[in-house]
Amino acid sequence: MSTLRRRALGLAAIAGVAALVLTACGRDGGTPAPEDTDGDAEVVASPGITDDNLLFGISTPLTGATAGPGNCTADGAIAYFGTKNAEGGIEFGDGVTRTIEIRKYDDEYNPERSAANFQQMVADGVFAAGIGLGTPTNRAWRDAAIEEEVPQVLVMTGDPLFNDREESPWQLGLVPIYQQEGAAFGEVLAASTEDHKVAILFQNDDYGQGYVEGFKEAIEGAGNIEIVGELTYEPSAPSLEGQITELSATGADVLFHAVSVVPRAIENLQKAQSLGWFPSWFLPSNTASPGGVLTPGGAVAADGALVYPGIYAVSFSAAAASPPFQESEEGQAYFAAIEEYTENDGFSFPHCVWSWIAAQILEQAFMEMEEPTRESFMAALLAIDGFEAQFLLPGGSINTTTDGLPAVQDVVLQSFNGRGYANVESFGG
Amino acid sequence: MAALTRLLESSWTRVVIGVAIGVVLVLLPLSSPAFTNQTITRIAVFAVAVLGLNIIMGYAGQVMLGQIFFVGVGAYAAAITVRSDWGAALGFWGVVAAFVLAVLVPGVMGLLVALAAARLRGLAIAMVTIALPIVGVPVAKRLSDITGGSQGISARVFGAPEWTGLDNDQWQYYVVMTIAAVVFALAFFLVRGKYGRAFAIVKENEAVAASMGISPYRYKVLAFTIAAMFGGVAGFLYIAAIQFTSPETLSFGHSIELVIATIVGGAGSIVGSILGGIYYVLVPQLTNAVNPNATAVVQGVIVLVVLFVLPGGLASLPRAIRRLVRRKRGPDVAGPAATERRTPEGITPGAGDALPPRENEERQNR
Amino acid sequence: MFNLNTFVQLIADGLAQGSIYAALALAIVIVNQTTGLINFAQGGMAVLAAYLGMTASNLLIPVVGSFAGIIGGILFAVGASFALGAALERFVMRRFMGGDPDTAVVATIGLLTLITGLCGLIWTYNYIPYPFFFPSGASFMVGGIAISVWSLTTFLTILAMMLVLQLLFRGTKLGLGLRAISINSRSAALSGIRVGGLLMVGWGLAAALGAIAGVLVAAKVQLVPDMFDAYLVYALAAVIIGGLDSPFGTVIAAWGIAVMENLAAAYLPFVGHDLKIAVPFVALFLVLILKPEGLFGRKVVVRV
Repeated sequence: MSTLRRRALGLAAIAGVAALVLTACGRDGGTPAPEDTDGDAEVVASPGITDDNLLFGISTPLTGATAGPGNCTADGAIAYFGTKNAEGGIEFGDGVTRTIEIRKYDDEYNPERSAANFQQMVADGVFAAGIGLGTPTNRAWRDAAIEEEVPQVLVMTGDPLFNDREESPWQLGLVPIYQQEGAAFGEVLAASTEDHKVAILFQNDDYGQGYVEGFKEAIEGAGNIEIVGELTYEPSAPSLEGQITELSATGADVLFHAVSVVPRAIENLQKAQSLGWFPSWFLPSNTASPGGVLTPGGAVAADGALVYPGIYAVSFSAAAASPPFQESEEGQAYFAAIEEYTENDGFSFPHCVWSWIAAQILEQAFMEMEEPTRESFMAALLAIDGFEAQFLLPGGSINTTTDGLPAVQDVVLQSFNGRGYANVESFGG
Repeated sequence: MAALTRLLESSWTRVVIGVAIGVVLVLLPLSSPAFTNQTITRIAVFAVAVLGLNIIMGYAGQVMLGQIFFVGVGAYAAAITVRSDWGAALGFWGVVAAFVLAVLVPGVMGLLVALAAARLRGLAIAMVTIALPIVGVPVAKRLSDITGGSQGISARVFGAPEWTGLDNDQWQYYVVMTIAAVVFALAFFLVRGKYGRAFAIVKENEAVAASMGISPYRYKVLAFTIAAMFGGVAGFLYIAAIQFTSPETLSFGHSIELVIATIVGGAGSIVGSILGGIYYVLVPQLTNAVNPNATAVVQGVIVLVVLFVLPGGLASLPRAIRRLVRRKRGPDVAGPAATERRTPEGITPGAGDALPPRENEERQNR
Repeated sequence: MFNLNTFVQLIADGLAQGSIYAALALAIVIVNQTTGLINFAQGGMAVLAAYLGMTASNLLIPVVGSFAGIIGGILFAVGASFALGAALERFVMRRFMGGDPDTAVVATIGLLTLITGLCGLIWTYNYIPYPFFFPSGASFMVGGIAISVWSLTTFLTILAMMLVLQLLFRGTKLGLGLRAISINSRSAALSGIRVGGLLMVGWGLAAALGAIAGVLVAAKVQLVPDMFDAYLVYALAAVIIGGLDSPFGTVIAAWGIAVMENLAAAYLPFVGHDLKIAVPFVALFLVLILKPEGLFGRKVVVRV
């Protein structure tokens, strides 16, 4: 045989063998859909749940700029289920007791990675996923989750889309939508007996815009409120002092400070007073911590008096950094769990406590779900009403039954009195 | 040993290997799990992006830190077209229109930027290219009516059509791989031809190039525009694979990651672009499996180790092995100096080292 | 509505902010002067230095008191940085000298990722306050303009650093040697200059400078692993606009960039605080077209 023919045959042989080998290997036709339970038919369990354990995935930033809150979003739940597993597990609504395994995935706050993480989670066989941080990072795989019918629940974003039951049948948000927090302050301000000039500083994305939208809606038509300045900032900007300087020249007596970056909030608290500007402040739930923000920011004078006429914040959970929390029995149990199951300190960001709350909500859903399927889980999750989760502020409860609202629906406006936060009903209170 | 070397170097062997790989790639998705297909699809997306970057950095020698900008613009062009009323109404042709726009819009932008910047020296071009993603993100947020703002746009139109009988991930795999293969083939012929040679000369010494009648300006603009267009294609493929884009897609950090992927894969090499794409996609996935908290540390270590052992990038592994083999054989075979000056693929240096030292010039150009 | 007070205040804010850019930029200048490289890891090394200083200070303060403890911490940070910088040059970057500059730059990026990741692993991503001589918010009024003590301290420190560097590079044998090895290391070696040792000194010096920058920034904004990331781009712009071989030019450029940004955001309506980041680049572009070697750089002639 000539060299050419020999080589051509060799080529064909290789190609043929490769083709045979590959097509001979069967392929998984994707995840089997759970059958409808019709009377006596066998229920096929969803992936990720066995008679012993359930796998839950959390894709969240574990490194990078937002890794502080990101780590908290995973660690709270890990600590909670760590204790529950040590007690033997959770008794599900179908009578089987199972342990809960949380697996975390780093997405570096990059939507492309979070989309890839979702594909990985499906390949790893998670039962459900969620509790991750960020709007674009959660949006990146929202459509995929709907298509694959994988629950994407209790996500840490105030983006209203996740609470729209029609648009997002497999999703549920955890934290109040940004508009609601902004409106809470707007309502109180509008009801005030005095005239107010408001300066607004907000983050240039859906977070900041949501806060401002809610605030403006609540003050619409109120004759005593005038917005005298409105400036944005980029989350990656190294300093916001230029904005504070500009706003201080407006003569505003109220500063609506929709800022989510802790060091920037601290600097702004310092800058305003150094300029001789003493407005009342409105702070969002993630930058209102007395120990983490207000004290370093110099909002409290040496004698314990407030430097500013008022500091208001919207909150829905107890602050792990506050002494009452740390002295309480449940607080100590919380810190013990954090210490044992994670590397976190548990109090630097509120997301640790929020994640602990999310874990409790999951537990409620597990205890009610009657079949080991994702459908049953979602049905149980969306039927919780009046659940007083640990560390929710007194008077608040979890209600997942309302279309358009997340799991946490009660926000409380609080005012800082130099030592801690107390509920207020009216401005100046 | 000598026979094996001869066998490996013969072009016929290369063809056989190439065909075998081709067959595997075509048949693989039918039998492998969905996640593998999705991963390979994403690798192809970023391999194309790295390829574009390679054309301008590896072959033409210009530092370009804004490639992700063109990827992002391409992704947006594709997503907006596909989600628009007229695009959706056109169905399949809407997708084709999306592809065309994803190539043209970044291409035109790249051309304009290049026309302005190509007259500047290397470091200046670098800084201008840095400006693209950095200014691009706030602009994308400002144009929120078109771009959907910071929440991004979801564009799920790449579900497998009924008549193919394929699963979604398999369909996406074929679409992306086919387009990527075509792009790579185009690039291959580009660098083997007169353009590739011109790029190499411009890279080595612009004065020499000018004296030979090759206008450095023209070829830099050309390289830049091609890189931008490849970036745009990668953006379209990004939408096909990820089906979501947001201003975060264009951020500066990813530009740096693309440059890392290019160099680690092997600059000035077609195969290196593929390796770069593999690096970009697989390393974060692997580090997640090792320890999700330590992804940054592991990634940094991998970059340093790879570059330490193979300064020419992963694609230079065969060359490095050959040098090792030659050195073992004896001192009568003179190998090239330890510090490797990279010669782009397809360009054979003339007899002897007639090219002037790069040291002095590069200091100015950086 | 133009308010003179606001205008001057914005300038003062810009000078304070620009000092941070300048601190990082000066460190980048040194490395560039000696090796011709842009060291992307400079900010990361500064952060690591600040963490080390914080740890040392926290250990010392209960023992020797606040003032001595802080000084001790800073000295430790600077010393450890010098050693670290020299070691990195010798054992990591030396490998890439003389090869493709792109590879070397990417290696520095790899270093940045690694160092930032290590800081995150060791000290977590929570914000940690840096113990300093005065509280970060302390300020006083001068003619209606608020000046923070921190701003003044940083401003003066940068001025001092700039003068020292300018003298070093133009006036001393060490500086001459450092510049020589960057222009042509082979000739320098032939003239008897110990290239290896000087390279290590160059990197060590840059790292030490970076440590001071790191401590200053940490005192203001609290420590977090990616503290310097936002400043890197500004520092690079300052280096190029001011001239790669001119510490003086670099600092002036850094101040100029920060001030222009503040003013553009406040007084140019279409710019706003989201697009103000374009300002340094526009300035860069203009400078590079008109004067490619930077405002204060020396023109370099290349023989073809």
